Amino acid sequence: MSERNVILKAEDIHKRFGDTEVLRGISLAARKHDVISILGASGSGKSTLLRCLNFLETPTSGTVTVQGEAVLVKHGRPVDPRHIERVRARIGMVFQQFNLWTHRTVLENVMEGPIHVKGVPRAVARARAEALLSRVGLDTRATHYPSQLSGGQQQRVAIARALAMEPDAILFDEPTSALDPELVGDVLRVMQSLAAEGTTMIVVTHEMTFARDVSTDVVFLHEGRVAERGPPERMFTRPETEAFERFIAG
Amino acid sequence: MNPLEILQTYWPRLLDGTLMTLQLTGLGALIAAMVSPFLALVRVQAAPLAQAPLRLYISFMRGTPILAQLFLIFYGSGQFRPFLQEWGLWSFFREPFNCALLAFALNSTAYQTEILRGGMLGVNAGEIEAAKAIGMKRLTVLRRVLFPHAYRIAWPALGNEVILLMKASALASVVTVFDIMGRTRQVFSRSFDFSVYLWAALIYLCITALFVLFWRLAERRLSPQLARVPVPRSRDAPREATSIARPLPDRRP
Repeated sequence: MSERNVILKAEDIHKRFGDTEVLRGISLAARKHDVISILGASGSGKSTLLRCLNFLETPTSGTVTVQGEAVLVKHGRPVDPRHIERVRARIGMVFQQFNLWTHRTVLENVMEGPIHVKGVPRAVARARAEALLSRVGLDTRATHYPSQLSGGQQQRVAIARALAMEPDAILFDEPTSALDPELVGDVLRVMQSLAAEGTTMIVVTHEMTFARDVSTDVVFLHEGRVAERGPPERMFTRPETEAFERFIAG
Repeated sequence: MNPLEILQTYWPRLLDGTLMTLQLTGLGALIAAMVSPFLALVRVQAAPLAQAPLRLYISFMRGTPILAQLFLIFYGSGQFRPFLQEWGLWSFFREPFNCALLAFALNSTAYQTEILRGGMLGVNAGEIEAAKAIGMKRLTVLRRVLFPHAYRIAWPALGNEVILLMKASALASVVTVFDIMGRTRQVFSRSFDFSVYLWAALIYLCITALFVLFWRLAERRLSPQLARVPVPRSRDAPREATSIARPLPDRRP
């Protein structure tokens, strides 16, 4: 696999909160069309890792490279902070708690990024937002406010909002963990269709079925390190480490 | 004289006072509204030491009577007259109206800053993160997410502050500003009819009532998501047909 296809690369990411080192040197590369599932027990650092990739947390040290543009972090400070906004604009993020802007309608939520970050003309942003909403099955909800939607619907809006930026990759931080069980399926189906279209995705999840059936790679974090990684077919049938074996056994 | 005759005779003065009160309150609140967002930002984001002068100012303004502040400016400026003349500021401080306006603006700025700070702290941190995550610049986050939200949260409290300021503006009459209260006292000293005070009270009440009405309408426009419309629940609503239901294309190579 050529280096050219690598969209997002994290090298030797360390993150320390006070005395606890949550991430102890993690490297990760997502090539175009990869769907990487990050698994791990709670407290293993998987959400922190994801948040380090778009600098919602600043790593204590390490490098994140997005399409050749590197943000180097030393001593907990990005070497060039101006890169961060550019990197973020190219990496979408979907949160566990959706985090839609509650004072804007569904349509406005999706239009916001393109207009105010990328400078896309309003009419273009609107047409695109409408198309994306119908893609996630919510075109009839365009004028609603987030508080008028169910959790599953809100999360699909959040996915449309991330897609509207036409990102190189999308990060999902436990996207279904805050949802009622009967609403999880809708969100997973949207994610599955994105994967099928070749969207590059890095997904922190507890959904084993998704990790096994949809992702191209599985990364298992244990105590701040990558304990095991590989294609899901192999990982779930022949785990190599005891830690992962115990993890999938539940 | 009966109360109606008082009104018939003196209404031009009362009207004049009303306009003065509106002008004083409106300008004071407006100046404070223009300054407070910047100060609130300092209160929320600056290092504790950098905030120290601001906190001192706010403590002083909120911890002393507004009448004392008014006197401090009105009589205090007289003490420094030669100094102020030298700086060309005397023409400003010579006018009682300007002194009152300055006192009210300074006072309201302190209150509005704290109210707005409360609003900013009330904004859901996740929504700020979402704005950062989408690549917004710091200023864009403030302009598009933080402040719009903070103002919606702070709106009722800000309205209260304006009403309190309007009532406090009656103090300006003490330093010879002819606002509603000033005109009322003037009328009373001629007619010795206390009913003019009742008319003054009624005018204050009308201003407050109209203002509350206006503020609520504005709130409804600002926060349509809070309007009490029946919330469509996903369970009752017909399930939307999701475009993802169609068969998926082949997995990519």
